[in-house]
Amino acid sequence: MPTRDPKVLVNEVSVTFESHGRSVMALDRISLQAQAGEFLCIVGPSGSGKSTLLRVLAGLLRQSAGEVHIQADHPGTPLTAMVFQEHALLPWRTVRDNITFGLENRGVGRAEREARAREMLVMVGLARFAQHYPHQLSGGMKQRVGIARALASDPEVLLMDEPLAALDAQTRTIMQEELLRIWAGLGKTVVYVTHSLEEALLLGDRVALLTARPGRVREIYPVDLGRPRGLEVRGSPAYGALLEKIWSRLREEVVRAIEDDRGPDPEKLGA
Amino acid sequence: MKALGRWLAEHGITIGSPLALLVVWEWASATGLLRAVFFPRPSTIGAHLRDLALDGTLWAHTATTLTRIGWSFTLAAVLGVVIGLAMGLWRRLREGLDPVFAVIYPIPSVLFLPLVNFLVPAGEIALVVTTAVTSFFLIAFTTTHGVRQIDRLVVEAALHYGARGWRLFAAVLLPGALPFIFTGLRLGLGFCLIVVVAVEIVSASQGLGALLWLSWQVLKVEDMYATFFVIALLGALLSYGLAALRARLVPWVPDVGAR
Amino acid sequence: MAVVVPAAVLVLWEICARLAIISPRYFPAPTTVGWVLADRFAAGDLGTELLVTLTRLAFAFALAAVPAIPLGLLMGIARPVRNFVEPYLAFIFPVPKITLLPFLMIILGVGEPAFVLTGASSAFFQIVISTLAGVQTMDPRLLDVGRNYGAHGPRLFWKVILPATLPAIFTGLRLGLGLALVTLVAVEFIAAKSGLGHLVFRHWQMLSTPEMYAAFALVGALGLVLTRGLRALQARVLTWQEDIGV
Repeated sequence: MPTRDPKVLVNEVSVTFESHGRSVMALDRISLQAQAGEFLCIVGPSGSGKSTLLRVLAGLLRQSAGEVHIQADHPGTPLTAMVFQEHALLPWRTVRDNITFGLENRGVGRAEREARAREMLVMVGLARFAQHYPHQLSGGMKQRVGIARALASDPEVLLMDEPLAALDAQTRTIMQEELLRIWAGLGKTVVYVTHSLEEALLLGDRVALLTARPGRVREIYPVDLGRPRGLEVRGSPAYGALLEKIWSRLREEVVRAIEDDRGPDPEKLGA
Repeated sequence: MKALGRWLAEHGITIGSPLALLVVWEWASATGLLRAVFFPRPSTIGAHLRDLALDGTLWAHTATTLTRIGWSFTLAAVLGVVIGLAMGLWRRLREGLDPVFAVIYPIPSVLFLPLVNFLVPAGEIALVVTTAVTSFFLIAFTTTHGVRQIDRLVVEAALHYGARGWRLFAAVLLPGALPFIFTGLRLGLGFCLIVVVAVEIVSASQGLGALLWLSWQVLKVEDMYATFFVIALLGALLSYGLAALRARLVPWVPDVGAR
Repeated sequence: MAVVVPAAVLVLWEICARLAIISPRYFPAPTTVGWVLADRFAAGDLGTELLVTLTRLAFAFALAAVPAIPLGLLMGIARPVRNFVEPYLAFIFPVPKITLLPFLMIILGVGEPAFVLTGASSAFFQIVISTLAGVQTMDPRLLDVGRNYGAHGPRLFWKVILPATLPAIFTGLRLGLGLALVTLVAVEFIAAKSGLGHLVFRHWQMLSTPEMYAAFALVGALGLVLTRGLRALQARVLTWQEDIGV
């Protein structure tokens, strides 16, 4: 039971796309909320509209129905900042200039931008690469720049769209640790989309499970694994139990999504 | 020492081959194996080149050609980039102008000389405008392509982080298109050289192209070769000079690659 | 939009010429040009000149493509060959090929061979460079796959290298054809006594502007058909290539 106004409120949001003359409903009356300082993870099969939901929150997409509300407690800071799955850095700017891009657009002064950039670079461990160009960095490093850019923006809510999906498993694990550490220090509200249930349970306070297309909220699970949290939590029985419970539901949705893609069984049609 | 040795091995053929060719040519021409009328000795060509340079003719003609290139390139570049950007940003404009471009672009620039002459009094202006035409289309076309090929995701991220209007243009669209714009400018400059020389052949009395043609008409073969050499030098300077500049101005592109 | 704008331009031109807002002497109405075009075609002489230009183009293209492709491939495969040829390529490439015309005319006389060879030179360098680039930018893993699955030497060449380079070769041929046409028409304009380029020149000198524009339009149409046509052909033949680009 929420005791105060939620930081993020999604109320009966639907999104329908027009494609090749046909309508595709990506999200169907989604309702969920996140409290201030909460780390909310969203999981679901491919096509469940997870990224679409995030884009609506980011203001990159207009919903077809329903409303979205983000509580603005600090005027002058942007409502959201998104970390994109494929980093989406500006290739012609250095790492530092990429990080301060949002600040520049808001007219923040040079001195403050430099200070903020320095802070971020240290936080994500890229202090030595401030003057490098994106093409000189590895995938993991680029993603860290993306995270730094979002953090530097000092948004009300941090949005992350499968930020670690494009990384190899080892880098990914390291980055998960980093994220936990950074977030613990900042206490931001985060909405985090991921394919990986393991990752969602590792990082999140709550996990929202979406159905196969059209995406609806199937269920929202609280994650009571304690804070501060480290990688070792993956060995705890509570984690294992949660994983099993949610995975069986998620699996159903995944299978349903695959069958939707595959289409009706031609053999069964004949019979 | 080893590094020098390796460098020589790598570049030895590249440098040695043309040098060897010159030597063979000199010998063949001197001994009559190659008819001196068609292939005069490099040494003679060199002498003529020196004479032309000394008595000022070479500079006068070169200066004329360079001036024409300068004017036509500026005209083509400014108009080309501006209109190219506009076409990149506004689909309607692009769709409307595309067929016009497609028809005009494959036409050799010299052919525009009559048209331009109808509009503008014959002389320098006509020459400059004619040269600018094809270059303009080339630059506009590559500029448009440069804008269009910017990663949609990057533009979206920029919008998300608050870039709008002028800022979006100056901080995102323009730099994003810059590598292509630069390539277009480089090609455009090369084209200006080509067309200026061609038009000079047709209708000018001054300029390297005119010099080449005049030398041909009076069959001063050595002068022809000398002029050709200067034109080649100019071409190389313009083409490779700009390429070097690009590395400086567009440092975020990992590998230039293109010709 | 793609149809509206050119149509609007033509209509505007027509009106201006008829009303003598622009001088019909220098800018005859499109309909006049159209009539002359049809007329001359029917009479056969426009068709003849078109054929002349096309024949020269065909020869120039063949003369360029046949040596250029193997040379490009060889340069891509064998480093020594590349080192040997590169200085000449680099030197000639930025030079306006039209400047080769006077030299060729001295050696071969003022006639078809000189014209055709000049046109061929434009295409030649383009095709070599495109082919070379094709070999160099080939995905090196394809070579690994080839060798791993038993293709060596000639077989590696025919089954892996050549198909992988085919898109680049095709693009080079396409660009080369366009360049050859441009150079040829320019040559005709300057030095020939036949062909579309010469027609433009002749009618310019005689100020028979409708005929001049007719020839002009024909050159434009020819260029358009060749470039667009080849691009469509490339997309059709090389179905595995995703993006043709320019």
